[in-house]
Amino acid sequence: MKKIIAILLAGMMTATALVGCGGGDGSSKAPEGSGEGSGGGAAKVEGSIVDESYFGDEGTDAKPITLKVWAPDAAVSLVKEQIEAFKKAYPNKKFKEISVVAQGESDAATQMLNDATVAADVFSFPSDQLNKLVDAGVIAEVAFKDAVAAANSKDTIKAGTLKNPQTKEDTLYAYPETNDNGYYLVYDNTVVSEDQAKTLEGVLEACKAADKKFIMNAGDGFYACTFAFTAGVKIDGLEDDGLTQKFVDYNEDEAVKTLQAFAQLIKDYKGTFQSLDVANIASGFTNGKTGAGIDGSWDTASNQKALGDKFGAAKLPTIKVGDEEKQLISMHGYKYLGVNGSSKFPATAQILAHYLAGEECQLQRAEKLGWGPSNTKVQENKVVTDSIVLNAIKEQSENSCAQVNIASTFWNPMGNLGNKLIADDCNPSDAAAIKKLLQDTIANVRDEG
Amino acid sequence: MIKSYKFRRHLANGFIYLFLIVMGIIWISPFVYLVMHSFRGEGMITVPYLVPHEWTLQNYIDLFTGAGGNAQLNFPRWFLNTFVVACFSCVISTVSVLMVSYAFSRLRFKARKKFMNVGMILGMFPGFMTMIAIYYLLKAMGLTQNLVALVICYSCGAGLGFQISKGFFDTIPRALDEAATIDGATKNQIFWRIILPMSKPIVVYTVLTSFIGPWTDFILAKIIMGDKRENYTVAIGLQLMQQLEFKNTYYKQFLAGSVVVAVPITLLFLKMQKYYVEGVTAGGVKG
Amino acid sequence: MTFVEYKQLNPFQRFAYNFKKFILNIPHAVVSFFKAIGRAIVKFFTGVGKGFANYGKTFVKGDWATKLSYLIFGVGDLHKGKYYKGILFFLSEVLYILYMVFFGWNYLKDFGTLGVVKAHTEYINGVIPQTVPGDNSMLILLYSVLSIVITVVVFAIYIANIKDAYKHQIMIANGEKPTTLKADVKDFLDGKYHITLLSFPVLMIGIFNILPLIFMILIAFTNYDMQHLPPGTLFTWVGFDNLASLFNVVDSARRAKTFIELTEWTLIWAVAATFSNYILGMIFALMINKKGIKFKALWRTLFVITIAVPQFVSLLLMNQMLQTNGAINILLSNITGSNVEIQFLNDSAFLARMTVIIVNCWVGIPYTILSMSGILMNIPEDLYESARIDGASPVKTFTKITLPYMLFVTTPQLITQFVGNINNFNVIFLLTGGGPSTHEYYQAGQTDILVTWLFNLTMNSQDYGLAAAIGILVFIVCATLSLIVYNSSKSMKDEEAFS
Repeated sequence: MKKIIAILLAGMMTATALVGCGGGDGSSKAPEGSGEGSGGGAAKVEGSIVDESYFGDEGTDAKPITLKVWAPDAAVSLVKEQIEAFKKAYPNKKFKEISVVAQGESDAATQMLNDATVAADVFSFPSDQLNKLVDAGVIAEVAFKDAVAAANSKDTIKAGTLKNPQTKEDTLYAYPETNDNGYYLVYDNTVVSEDQAKTLEGVLEACKAADKKFIMNAGDGFYACTFAFTAGVKIDGLEDDGLTQKFVDYNEDEAVKTLQAFAQLIKDYKGTFQSLDVANIASGFTNGKTGAGIDGSWDTASNQKALGDKFGAAKLPTIKVGDEEKQLISMHGYKYLGVNGSSKFPATAQILAHYLAGEECQLQRAEKLGWGPSNTKVQENKVVTDSIVLNAIKEQSENSCAQVNIASTFWNPMGNLGNKLIADDCNPSDAAAIKKLLQDTIANVRDEG
Repeated sequence: MIKSYKFRRHLANGFIYLFLIVMGIIWISPFVYLVMHSFRGEGMITVPYLVPHEWTLQNYIDLFTGAGGNAQLNFPRWFLNTFVVACFSCVISTVSVLMVSYAFSRLRFKARKKFMNVGMILGMFPGFMTMIAIYYLLKAMGLTQNLVALVICYSCGAGLGFQISKGFFDTIPRALDEAATIDGATKNQIFWRIILPMSKPIVVYTVLTSFIGPWTDFILAKIIMGDKRENYTVAIGLQLMQQLEFKNTYYKQFLAGSVVVAVPITLLFLKMQKYYVEGVTAGGVKG
Repeated sequence: MTFVEYKQLNPFQRFAYNFKKFILNIPHAVVSFFKAIGRAIVKFFTGVGKGFANYGKTFVKGDWATKLSYLIFGVGDLHKGKYYKGILFFLSEVLYILYMVFFGWNYLKDFGTLGVVKAHTEYINGVIPQTVPGDNSMLILLYSVLSIVITVVVFAIYIANIKDAYKHQIMIANGEKPTTLKADVKDFLDGKYHITLLSFPVLMIGIFNILPLIFMILIAFTNYDMQHLPPGTLFTWVGFDNLASLFNVVDSARRAKTFIELTEWTLIWAVAATFSNYILGMIFALMINKKGIKFKALWRTLFVITIAVPQFVSLLLMNQMLQTNGAINILLSNITGSNVEIQFLNDSAFLARMTVIIVNCWVGIPYTILSMSGILMNIPEDLYESARIDGASPVKTFTKITLPYMLFVTTPQLITQFVGNINNFNVIFLLTGGGPSTHEYYQAGQTDILVTWLFNLTMNSQDYGLAAAIGILVFIVCATLSLIVYNSSKSMKDEEAFS
């Protein structure tokens, strides 16, 4: 606790110092971000503590602050501590209550869309829900854009920026919180060696030799899109209609060859390769049935508990296509903090979100919860660089496609592609059939024909 | 002759017993599997064998103390919520089903058939499409995120399920009503004093089905409760345990929770068995 | 065919004959169904016309209090000494006006456009963005429907108020006295008992079933979808566009194909699920309730205990058990001694569909046993006794007494079950999630039925307009079908056959 306060004080002092000398070069008084008029005397924002003038009339005796924050269950107690520190950082403000309510991130958007007026003022959500939130107009844009953009990695900012449906301008809608919402290779290191974990062939061979399973949920579009991405079929946001998925031009013959290689490999290791819900991976580790699997950051704790010292993690392996070793390319997401557009205390909500997504809070989460930070400074921290999981995720994220601007029609056809590639009646040498499958998949994603 | 008839009957009964035993085993085995694995100590979601190796009460203890993981769960509270909602909505639904079916079966009034036809087709629209509308109607009445709203939701449509009990009432001889009317009884008295006591089997059926509803619904209840976890019902709670981030940690507690949920319903049914038998006796009297 | 000829046929021929008759009757039934609808509409309008005529006539003949009732509810009744009714009438008017002024009108006035003011963002101090809410199309639609329904009800009260005032005026003129409250209450417990019994359920159903239903139907004529999501964006009326896109085989071929093929499977599924449950459930119930079978309570409990576990739990459990590493494959492996990994739910469409139907039997039969047992126990014993005296064989007793009796009582239940299966969301969604997947369908798998497809459309793509349009089509088919079957069924035509 003392440490937190120390950090906070340091942060505050820097902030005030900067505000104090803000006028030094004579031009930095311009308000943050938005070009909407010159907000009278708004101070520059640096660090996670902002100038109290941003509160406006909120937090005075006449208008004490009441806010609700949604945090995933695992983070509730930490967020509560962080909020106490937040209150201390603004001693002149009057807080009636800032409550922290447990709310799973996976259905945060559904809850927001159902009724935003009873939802939280500040809420945590994964990047794939951003489109929905923006379309429904329930999320407010980020007030401290420049400070946020400067502090966080470019990918997270890019993925958090969408076109405003009304003004058609690029707008940053949410405060990046993590960059680890993706999947990676997790393995039992007594079964699979570090070296074998580099290639898919190696992983499968090792599992087969130990008579264990390799689990990947090939029927779920979230994982199955790896087949398409690795084959070079990549997506690039949405078309101008805001609905249809845009695909990057790709070499179809090359793509078919890669898919054939996948199908062949899976056929060769039939009985070892198993397509199941990812939750089965940890189960399989506990009872010794699983050798390796493709699983996400949300299951890290379970997998570590199941394997103990035997836990191994790495970026996704490569696959041999012809003479070339191709890196598996995954879908990768981020988590954000959003501010409810209908919040009764918009300024405080923004300041709180900014604080919770700030450097100190991200560091605490990395230390206590093992979350991968989006803040570039925290990314350099020893806690992060020493973690094999976070390293695996980071390496994988460099070979990934950002999970944002995904059409709702994307998942089912991709899952189908995976199902068809692993099916018993799939013939890996039938290039024409696989080509047709690929074409059908793309057409179905784009809702054509 | 008599001997062979008896023999045939014994043979037939033997086959029936055999059939019932085999089918009973098939029907009960998933339940047995559920109960066994709710006491399982090892493993997470699945184990590669049928009978657990390690038996423990830990899953139940964790379930009721909220231990065993970092999720904010409160199963005892949810259980109580559901029980209260189930009791209230069960009483209201049963009464309204019986009222409606008695009216349609015994009373003759203008537009009766029209009412019945409308009543029959109303339940045919896919229910979840209207949930968001129900939510905002409740909100307009200031009734969201609390248990009263749930009671209303579960019992309001009950009247539409009149068909089965109306069919049942249709088979009760009208001579009884006529005799009572001659004795000066009003329709109200006939309903409460004559028809209801004779309808035990169908009352049992109605009570049981309407009591079960709140324990199983997780879609509408979730929409109404939103983030208010202390007012969740067990169904939302169990569904919550199935979420991606909890599934591994809470699966055994999920199984234990499902067993606990089955307890009140099973008890209710065992209790109701008695009335079933009484229903038969009543049926004998009226012949 | 004469009766004698019919009697000479064997059971199969009889069945074929009855079946043919039923099929040939369908067009006739459909025609008469629509004729009935037509007649109802004509009747409605002539009724309205008559109503207006009476409305004027009563005003001319009414005394001052009756005339004043045209403006202020209940004055007529109060004047004639019928106080409680007068007060109730008056209160309803006051409440209605208050409702409209403070709530209803705000929404109703935008019903035509569903809102014009868009939400936009303003910046406090130039920095803090704040959403300024605009019109919320969904709430406008919902609360307008509410207001319209309330208006219709209040109009009915208004007419009743006038009629009542005039009735009492005539009564007084004839030297009669209006009935007392006590007499009225007594009447409501006897002669008008149906009103007492039905008013509360009807009110509840009206608010929580009919109102949302109207709302949903209207949604089908709007462009409520991913790009028109309230509260941020407005949606508006688009007429029949959504319905048209379902049948547009040119522009949205995959959608149309999905719709047609899912409809086929939905019907197959509903027939298979309903009849397998009905027939097997009846056999089980008959066996349990057969004379001479002991431990009846035990058998019933054994089957019914499966109801005790919430359906979604048992279905999720079943899903788990049917996986390649699940209990059933383990059991099969133990029995055969080799490693069995059957893909019950994820590979072949046929296997997955069979699995769903079988699991549905497991889920549904206990309910059938429960309801059938109740009915079986109530078959009048003397029917059986006289059959025994006549020396009828057990088979004959079954076909002549038990079966007709059961069919008579349970026809409505069969229909409800059939429709229930068309809308059986849980079994499909939780067991297979729609799989096995296919690229031939738009956002659907091979075991998806129309409702689960609909659910996917709303949950994944927020395509409420399209989903509501499908919902309406499903509804029309179900409603027409069941109205025809129900109204031509024996239990409806001859309600008193067994009483």
